[in-house]
Amino acid sequence: MAASIIEVSGLGKRFGGFVALDNINMTVAAGERLGLIGPNGSGKSTLVNCLSGMLHHDSGNILFEGRPIDGMPAYRRTRLGLARSFQLPKPFRSLNIVDNLRIPLLYAVNARHGAQISAAAINERCRALLADVGLADKALYLPRDLTQVEMRKLELARAVASAPRLLFADEAMAGLSPSEVEEILVVLFRLNEAGITIVLIEHIMRAVMSFSTRLVVLVAGQKVADGAPQEAIRNPEVERAYLGE
Amino acid sequence: MGTGKFWALSFGVSLALLVLTRWLITNEYYFFAAYQVLQFIVLATAWNILGGYTGYTNFGTGAFFAVGAYSAVVLHKLSSAPVPVMMLVGGVMSGIIGFGMGYLTLRLRGVFFAIATLALAIVAQTLIVNWDYVGGSRGIYVIRPQYAPISGSYIQYLYSLMLALTWISVATARTIERSTLGLGFNAIRDDEQAAEAAGVPTLRLKLISTTLSGALMGMAGAPLPYYVTYLDPASSFNLSYAVNSVAMPLIGGMTSWVGPVIGAVLLGTIQQLATVTISSALNLLIVGVLLIVFVVIAPNGIVGLVRGWKRARYR
Repeated sequence: MAASIIEVSGLGKRFGGFVALDNINMTVAAGERLGLIGPNGSGKSTLVNCLSGMLHHDSGNILFEGRPIDGMPAYRRTRLGLARSFQLPKPFRSLNIVDNLRIPLLYAVNARHGAQISAAAINERCRALLADVGLADKALYLPRDLTQVEMRKLELARAVASAPRLLFADEAMAGLSPSEVEEILVVLFRLNEAGITIVLIEHIMRAVMSFSTRLVVLVAGQKVADGAPQEAIRNPEVERAYLGE
Repeated sequence: MGTGKFWALSFGVSLALLVLTRWLITNEYYFFAAYQVLQFIVLATAWNILGGYTGYTNFGTGAFFAVGAYSAVVLHKLSSAPVPVMMLVGGVMSGIIGFGMGYLTLRLRGVFFAIATLALAIVAQTLIVNWDYVGGSRGIYVIRPQYAPISGSYIQYLYSLMLALTWISVATARTIERSTLGLGFNAIRDDEQAAEAAGVPTLRLKLISTTLSGALMGMAGAPLPYYVTYLDPASSFNLSYAVNSVAMPLIGGMTSWVGPVIGAVLLGTIQQLATVTISSALNLLIVGVLLIVFVVIAPNGIVGLVRGWKRARYR
């Protein structure tokens, strides 16, 4: 197995008396395509929020490329190479599409290299990113002029603009039509081939099953299955959570 | 236009304005009135750095402004520091308060932040009211030096300084607007979580924004004691500073440096005219009515209106 890119051990998070995540242990190998599934409210988004630094976990620890990142603010995790997209797209509404991508380039990529990338190189990179997701001709549009699927692509492009090595795609396809789901999957496969480890949080089983090489299942804040996709979904606990007794 | 070019050009415009006004205008009142308008350009521009670019509504303009003014009073009593030094010190003091405010309220957003700034204004006013050294609630008389350090009357001197500060504020605002910093501010305004996820150090940028905005307001307040010669908490903390510095960018347009300038010139001039021709009590009413009119017909201000027309024409 390849070296792990992120290692989570004993991760716990409570909201008041509610245990959102209970002793989660998981490892993601570099280059992997991991599917993270679970019923609504099972803690998938909380897990992503804890790993990306939007929330801070109460117990356990996280190693990113062998380095502890507990308590590290989100922007520094992004600079290290851990990016995420949001379940509900959160574009910078007053900025056009190019400027939306320029922000991670200026703030994450520049900070990482310690040197300023030239304005020309940034423009070039923005153009390439937009071409990758098929938004090349919308560069100067405002986010409100985009369709739902384009908005998802922008969300992914912005996450990828920070040049991550690990990407959490949080329900990047919710609410899309089957052909649009296919478009997003193509983008995700291409990113993975380019060397980005991807954790896909998704409800659309067909997409998860075709994309993932491994599946982690959360139920009520606990990890109940972890393994090859076909085996994971036949796990009795997973069946019980999804189909009932 | 490049940033350096804008600094040079705006300096040229300010200098030309200074020379022209001092050459052509002999009536002291016009300098007195122009000082007011310039002061509002600085306040509106400073407010807009935090309120317009970064998206945090500050109702505490009066506090930052008055802290600048009272810093000058303390300096006046302790020494015979020249006004530019007072402005620097006032700016530093208000900048520190801006930093503190940013740090203490960093978890507050939207309306909660606005309420906290209002509370800050009240706390600061209470402190000044109870501080006897600077006059307490009685207020304090500040005797101007007899002669201005440059030719012309003292009011003309203060007007020249305010013009210089206006140039610095506006050029700073425009520089920020075109910079990586400005893009980061905008990201915070649009979505703070997404900004953080894109690698923007939101806390640091918010502190820069509150500090800079507060410092400019303090600098605008520092010459006030010499301008009015009698300073008291009720007038220096007056709500009209807060209301005006919100209303002016809103009416002019908050996304660009030119918005607060237009808003301040427009509202400031109207208020001066109303004060002279009708009554000074009318000022806040005028601001209120204009604010409502603009919120209804042009929520993005005059700049937004013009941009809308341009876009419609090219389509």
